Amino acid sequence: MRQNKETNRLKWRAEFCFNLLLLGVLLVAIVGLFSSCQKTSDQSLLRIGLPEEPRSLNLWLGTDANSRRILSQIYQPLYHRHPETLEIIPWLAKEMPVFDQGALSYTVKLRSAKWSDGSDFTSDDVLFTKQLFFDFKIPRYYSKWKIIKKIEAPDAHTVVFYLKKPSAIFMSRVMTAPMVSKREWEAVAREALTKEKPLRSLQDHVIEKPIGTGPFTLVEHKKGAYIHMEKNPYFFGSGQKIGNHLLGPYVNSLLFRVYGTSDVAILALKKGDIDYYWGDIQPGYIKDLKEQTNIDLYFNKKSALYYLGFNVRRAPFNDKVLRQAVATVINKEFILTRILQNFGTPMHSVVPSGNHFWYNPNVRKYGQGLDHDQRIKLAHEMLKKAGYSWDRPPVTQEGKIVTPSDILLPSGEKMEKFVILTPPADYDPKRAFAGTMVQEWVRELGLPASARPMAFSSLLDTVKGKHEFDAFILGYGRLDLDPDYLRSFFYSKNDKPRGWNMSGYHNLEFDKIARAQMALGDREKRKELIWKMQEMVLEDIPYLPLYNPHIIEATFNERFRGWVAKVDGIGNVWSMCVVKPVQ
Amino acid sequence: MRNQTYILSKLVEIAVIFFVIMTALFFLFRLSPGDPISKVVDPMLTPEDMRYLIEQMGLDKPMWEQYVIYLKNFFAGNFGVSFHYGEPVFKIIKERLGWTILLFTSSTVLAAFAGVFLGKIAAWNKGSRLDSVMSISALVCYTLFIPWFALLLLWVLGFQLGLFPLGGILSPELWVGNASWFVKVLDIIHHMVLPLMTLFIINLGSYLLLMRSSMLSVLREDYIITARAKGLSERVIRNKHAAKNAALPVVTSVGLSLAFSINGGALTEQIFTWPGIGRELIFAVSNNDYPLAQACFLLIALVVLVANLIVDILYAYLDPRITY
Amino acid sequence: MLKTHYIRRFLKSWKIFIQNPLGKTGVIILTVFMLMALASFIVPHINPMYDPMTGIDPDIRVSTGPSLTHFLGTDNVGRDLFAQLLEGAKVAFIVGLSSAFFSIVIGTVVGMVSGYAGGMLDAFLMRMADIIMVMPSLVILLILASLFGQFNIWIIVFIIAIMRWPAVSRVIRSQTLSLKQRPFIEASQVAGASHLRIIFRHIMPNVLPLAFLYMTFRVTSAILVEAALSFLGFGDPSQVSWGMMLQWVWKSGHMFQAPYWLIPPGLSISLLTLAFYLLGRAMDEVLDPRLRKEGQS
Repeated sequence: MRQNKETNRLKWRAEFCFNLLLLGVLLVAIVGLFSSCQKTSDQSLLRIGLPEEPRSLNLWLGTDANSRRILSQIYQPLYHRHPETLEIIPWLAKEMPVFDQGALSYTVKLRSAKWSDGSDFTSDDVLFTKQLFFDFKIPRYYSKWKIIKKIEAPDAHTVVFYLKKPSAIFMSRVMTAPMVSKREWEAVAREALTKEKPLRSLQDHVIEKPIGTGPFTLVEHKKGAYIHMEKNPYFFGSGQKIGNHLLGPYVNSLLFRVYGTSDVAILALKKGDIDYYWGDIQPGYIKDLKEQTNIDLYFNKKSALYYLGFNVRRAPFNDKVLRQAVATVINKEFILTRILQNFGTPMHSVVPSGNHFWYNPNVRKYGQGLDHDQRIKLAHEMLKKAGYSWDRPPVTQEGKIVTPSDILLPSGEKMEKFVILTPPADYDPKRAFAGTMVQEWVRELGLPASARPMAFSSLLDTVKGKHEFDAFILGYGRLDLDPDYLRSFFYSKNDKPRGWNMSGYHNLEFDKIARAQMALGDREKRKELIWKMQEMVLEDIPYLPLYNPHIIEATFNERFRGWVAKVDGIGNVWSMCVVKPVQ
Repeated sequence: MRNQTYILSKLVEIAVIFFVIMTALFFLFRLSPGDPISKVVDPMLTPEDMRYLIEQMGLDKPMWEQYVIYLKNFFAGNFGVSFHYGEPVFKIIKERLGWTILLFTSSTVLAAFAGVFLGKIAAWNKGSRLDSVMSISALVCYTLFIPWFALLLLWVLGFQLGLFPLGGILSPELWVGNASWFVKVLDIIHHMVLPLMTLFIINLGSYLLLMRSSMLSVLREDYIITARAKGLSERVIRNKHAAKNAALPVVTSVGLSLAFSINGGALTEQIFTWPGIGRELIFAVSNNDYPLAQACFLLIALVVLVANLIVDILYAYLDPRITY
Repeated sequence: MLKTHYIRRFLKSWKIFIQNPLGKTGVIILTVFMLMALASFIVPHINPMYDPMTGIDPDIRVSTGPSLTHFLGTDNVGRDLFAQLLEGAKVAFIVGLSSAFFSIVIGTVVGMVSGYAGGMLDAFLMRMADIIMVMPSLVILLILASLFGQFNIWIIVFIIAIMRWPAVSRVIRSQTLSLKQRPFIEASQVAGASHLRIIFRHIMPNVLPLAFLYMTFRVTSAILVEAALSFLGFGDPSQVSWGMMLQWVWKSGHMFQAPYWLIPPGLSISLLTLAFYLLGRAMDEVLDPRLRKEGQS
């Protein structure tokens, strides 16, 4: 009896506590909703979502994409690329430089601009920046600026660069480096140079308020939560028409918010919590986003190269014919529709087709226009002619396509199993999946291939560091618009541990041309050489280009409009300077 | 007196263990297969640049030298500089620690209290339907896969019902727009509800079951029978005598189940993008940021060791049957 | 003599076990998953598009819901989710059982040696066990992940085993301690048998049943840890597992759009661990009279 009463009382107690808890939770939820309703839709605050926390706001350390996104609003270069034509145009410089052939010098006149602390931007700052690059051998910048013999500053707004030898890439490589303020960095640099590890010291310096010439300055960086920037009153571009755009900025502040996953970010975008998600959106979202009228989708070409790389130093891919046969059976159209969901372009050359001037449309296109069976037949012929054989070939006497037995080398031995390395599916589903497809296609020729996903850093170490691989699928998401990178990728001397020439391609003829084009000032003549280089690469195929994905981005259009599309998307300094609140 | 020597010996033990872990970790990092160094430095640089950066980071010195420097720095309070952020590890941890402590302690405390309370009821009503329901629910909670459960909560409560934010610790607009501190605090609580709920439910299961079995074994003891014979009310027996003693093992098990809770905490932080130590550790590991990963790990190890020490001492102090 | 004794004991225990509702449920769930794991060997051969890792449906390019050809639907590149679920069951069993097995082996040996030897060795081993037991396994695996870079499924199994043997060793140790007092041990010692022989010939057979009991708890934690590791992206990328499936649904951005993708793997993990746990608890209650149960895994 007593037990029952006890139990009942206990039950009431338990229920009561649970109800209390539930009430508490509801209360918090309600208050939360209230406070979110109170959120001011501040018309002059542009809210941007970022995929990851920026690494650092120190320009020398923040080399990751998200840091660069923030820093590019602050530190500006002398010359920029026009958003539509992609030509080099003056930015912090006033006009195009005057080139003196005899002295190998470029004379640059500077704009009268101010730093965000009000001080003037002068040639002293340019000199200082150059000195910084040299004193600290700053990675990426020093190697490009090494070609400068000396710099002179005849007056506060003129700088003369003297080169050691003629260079075709001076404008695109050297002049696009960011300029820093002597005032901000002088003391820091001096102290860092006294340390045992000067570069590290420089990189570890914490900058509270970066001083820049760009459209925005930093207000607050709350780690793990947000970055708040506001309009720079001293921005030199305010009210100026540069690159065919009348620059603002027309927003008062930027609020960057970090989202761990794109799922949550897209949701925030749909709800209107952010105005723009500065990250790549997977094709899977497109259908859903298209249906919303207050979301605008942007599709832009990327200057990128995703490719299948071969190790030409050893068997089996040291045989050019084998590589060409593999290239023949790879169906780029299929990759485009299946993996990219049609948001991309098939890639035929190692220069993206969007890079109109430098792209060579006449390179050899393997298996173009052929259907599946025709590809196999063609590849079969190529291999047979080169001496490969099968106990049961992929194409019978009658011309039927069958599952072949393992391929035999010209020597008569069986080909050893080989591996195609790819990044893991969570890192990049496209590459991982492309690997699987390639594996299936070449197996149809009797090649004993298997695609293996590998953790990204291990993958790089294996391929770039140790050269212990057969084939791999990797990509460069941000290729320079100047094609000089072809030299980096395929020059024989770059075939060394951690060197750029990962496939081990050695072609003396190619080397000669690569060296020559580097120094040619005449664009047309240089183009001829660049085209020739592409021809060679596509003939020997150390790398087989696979695809070039579009960059897919989305904005919430009810509050701001006017995004500027450029190669690599709408996230660029032009957009930030031009978007206007919707009236 | 004896207790003091016990505590002292335990402290020394912890110090030794900690030192061993630290050393093992240091050498393991540098001895790992594959070139660990090139993982740290951006592979998109030229080989010359890479070599230069490696030298700047001090990774080119012989192992022993690096170790000595590491020790020297450690005891001087310098825990190294993060490879990834370029900031002192100490600073980074300091910024993150608070959030983890907030989430972790509140969920553990709530779960422990609720677990003890409910376990008491379950044990008291052993065999009844209430007990079965509670036990099974607790069991289910215990075996839930945390990431999955967290994602479900996120999906249902955050997305479908839109009641709670989908992650993070605060809404930037409120903070940038000069809201009152009261609203700011509410904002944080609003963001904390889902991760808290996740951890609470998972831990509740284990505490409930523990309390229940502990209570059951206590109820079999002689002094309970005596108390009944004396005619004390059931409630008094349950609360004053049985529960108090049954709660003891639960307290000690908080230390043991710390491992379980910490695992869960790290996963929860990751999914709700709660910027705590757990999430930072995962991030540091993905980025091969050795100094930061090491420090996060050592911190967690230290917490575990100290917590267990406290539990040991508490147990020795509270349980009259144990003498040292 | 010993063999029939075991068989009889086993059958008796089985009868009690199977009447226990917990045990019944556990066994049923386990059988279902076991069938699933076995099916994973057959399914890819029915049609290559059902291969969990590489099989794609030529007509499907996006994640689709359940249909006749795809019971659970497809993931975002067109792979069958049900096939992946089956493969995951196989992996879960392999990881769980082998990891548990290794930890039993290590734990039993350590427990026996520790209990038998006593003294300093005993104190040292048990102290080590204490320390290892309280360390969060996931965190340790994470740290090791950055060392090894690429985790192979067997390395994961092994490391989990190393983290999980302490609980087993404690129980084995106490059992060994009580066995040590038994007359037949003393007799062997007097007869001049070496310590090793005594341990492996006499003590081990008597502690093994206990060891296998505790195996069930080891299995649950192994499965959970492997799943968590794969979920975070540090698992073996060439292996499809339930944790990996959850990672894919999360990273490919289908978390909110594809409940048919999100729910099955997580539910399976929870159910399988629940089943093993129920099994353990039921076995426990069967053998209860002789043991004092300690805390959970």
